[in-house]
Amino acid sequence: MRITHRKLALRAAAAAALLAGYADLARGGLTAAPLLLVLGYLVLVPLVLLAD
Amino acid sequence: MTAPTLPPEARPQYAAALLTALLVLALYAATLAPTTAMWDASEYITAAYTLGLPHPPGNPLFVLLGRVASLVPVGTVAVRVNLLAALCSAFSAGIWFLVADRVLVRLVDDRRARAAAALTAALLSATAFTVWNQSVVNEKVYTVSLAFFAAVSWLTVLWCDDPDGRRADRLLVLVAYLIGLGYTNHPAGLLVGPAVATAVLVRRPRTLLRWRLLIAGALVFALGLTPFALEPIRAAHHPAINEGEVTGCTGSIGWSCTFSETTRTRLLDNINRKQYGKPDLSVRQAPFGAQLGMWWLYFKWQWLRDSHDDAPASQAVLAVLFLVLGIAGGIAHWRLDRPSFWFFGPLVCTVTIALVYYMNFKYGASQSPGLAGVEREVRDRDYFYLWSYSAWSVWAAVGLAAAWQGLARRAGTAAVPRWVMTAPVLLIGAIPLAGNWRDASRAGETATREWAHDLLNSVEPYGILVTMGDNDTFPLWYAQEVEGVRRDVTAAVTSLLGTDWYIRGLVRRPISPYDAARGPAAYRATTWPKPTRPLLSLSTAQLDAIPDYADLREPQIFQAGSLRAVVDPRRLEFGVPLRSDLLVLQLLKENLGTRPLYVARMSGSYTQALGLEPYALLQGLAYRISSAPLRASADTVAIPGVGFLDVPRTRALWSAYGAPSAIVRRGDWVDRPSVGIAAAYVSVGLTLSDALAARGLAAESAAVQRSAVEVASATRTLEWFTGSVAPR
Repeated sequence: MRITHRKLALRAAAAAALLAGYADLARGGLTAAPLLLVLGYLVLVPLVLLAD
Repeated sequence: MTAPTLPPEARPQYAAALLTALLVLALYAATLAPTTAMWDASEYITAAYTLGLPHPPGNPLFVLLGRVASLVPVGTVAVRVNLLAALCSAFSAGIWFLVADRVLVRLVDDRRARAAAALTAALLSATAFTVWNQSVVNEKVYTVSLAFFAAVSWLTVLWCDDPDGRRADRLLVLVAYLIGLGYTNHPAGLLVGPAVATAVLVRRPRTLLRWRLLIAGALVFALGLTPFALEPIRAAHHPAINEGEVTGCTGSIGWSCTFSETTRTRLLDNINRKQYGKPDLSVRQAPFGAQLGMWWLYFKWQWLRDSHDDAPASQAVLAVLFLVLGIAGGIAHWRLDRPSFWFFGPLVCTVTIALVYYMNFKYGASQSPGLAGVEREVRDRDYFYLWSYSAWSVWAAVGLAAAWQGLARRAGTAAVPRWVMTAPVLLIGAIPLAGNWRDASRAGETATREWAHDLLNSVEPYGILVTMGDNDTFPLWYAQEVEGVRRDVTAAVTSLLGTDWYIRGLVRRPISPYDAARGPAAYRATTWPKPTRPLLSLSTAQLDAIPDYADLREPQIFQAGSLRAVVDPRRLEFGVPLRSDLLVLQLLKENLGTRPLYVARMSGSYTQALGLEPYALLQGLAYRISSAPLRASADTVAIPGVGFLDVPRTRALWSAYGAPSAIVRRGDWVDRPSVGIAAAYVSVGLTLSDALAARGLAAESAAVQRSAVEVASATRTLEWFTGSVAPR
């Protein structure tokens, strides 16, 4: 299976969204955290799985 | 089994599905609740807004979605979260369009005709009573689950079309991820799993032997479960709604307390809903036949709700019609599209028969009303079968389409296509739209919000208000945490005081200053100093050490200052004082004279159960516990069956209450199990009217009585007060 730049970028974006989301959540964030986590779980991860 | 060869015109009609979803969304927007509602709506809206934790299992995915929805700058916070429910159901309707369209490919050649049938499926599913009613107010998390079911359904249908194709494995992996993710919204997310497994087993069984794919599926399923991490993280920040308190952190969040045994145990207990302690499935809470009867009762509601039994015969006829159509649709599905049937058929079975068995409900609140002496659910549980009725609607529409095509084949030759001539038969699918509008619509329903304001305003500044259950508690959470109303009041609900985490949260809650400008006029003449002492002086260890109940069999004297109450265990619900009762008495003991303690009017009998009746003074919608026995006077009137009434205070509060006019405007009440709240207004109004009449204030007495009677008429509770309505 060939890993293209696009796939790598998607994976990185999904991982970054989730990690940043949880980091902000742990800090007590109420705005960026849910936005990032919803973006990660409902948009980026599905895109990664469909692209792989 | 080989894949059926689909004709070229079988391409999914995505644009039409999108238009259908938008149409359904417009319907929901037109009938959307403008604010909160009874039961769990306030709890979920508040949890979403505060990024808090609602009752177990905590629904972290919903909380995230709800919080994001609450940030969208459209209307009020409640409208935003209600719109989330509407969006999820509209999305599901769009997917059901695609599923029905696919099933009918081999029956209906013309794409426009097929779109008409698929639109019928979407509309029928969207307007089935429970689906509609739950989609116009975010009362639960089930519309989000429905959206996941629908998404998984379509992905599985696509996989079934081409199980060896280039995308096949990706689709299955995505399905596994969505099932895991759906579980973090609600455990029902797993219900779609057996249907996916059956479809894979029948369509391409060797898929289940491909260990790389299985491992990938397991890994992404686990990834889908990770939103549960939100629970201990948010719990450690002690948000306003922090049910279960799934953290070992007592102060601020930290590594050691988060990754501790306490956190792990509490999180698992929360996810597994240990708090509810449901019996083993082998112990049936009602006969299985009766549980199926409950499903059938709510099935009848779907096509014509008829909440006041005005047309039971029509309701029964429609139920049989849609039952037959659904069965016919299932048979047609089997014949037309076997691969997708092996998904959808098991899904219908899982969310119907299997779910009825698993939920193991007692008799329904509205079920067999003549049957006495049986245990009942506190409210109707039709929302647990939302997925069942939604999926059944798809089959009913497929059955209707099959009947339509049968008619079209028999129709004579005409200038217009036969399917057009016979298309009016599809209007049967619009019956629920017309029949359910009155009951499913929540447009203009503001009574719950007003009730919350009225109840909080019945309590003097910095008061403690003892409540009993969902409907006299959750709306207060919404009013205080979302709208910022009367945050100085501490609501203590007895049904949660039995848990260890709840009282810890109450004690931890900061005392908010009383905002006199936003408070009722009745309190403006007095200065209300902010309490300096905490609610309770007990340490966390002492609070945790309070037993679940006190083994007290004989009456005992409870004394706090000059208050002497006889606590008679025989008058208590369980025959002994529970932890919650002990905590209420402790709250009274520590705050008497410094912070007023109230018991909500809905829980009025609780004052009697604790022997506090001689001290309970009704002020509007709540009893204030006095520090000395009450004596009748010009302003304090003793009324049989009610106790003592504070006439001037109740008079002032009544004139500012917003719920009576909201109830009359709506002209109905949401359901019978919660109608006691409307009846509380009627009772208070009639009592006040009598007291005013005794004072010679005939005109004002008549006005109050008229208002109370209007509420009773609107909510069909007037017969409860026969003999209480004196001629004025």
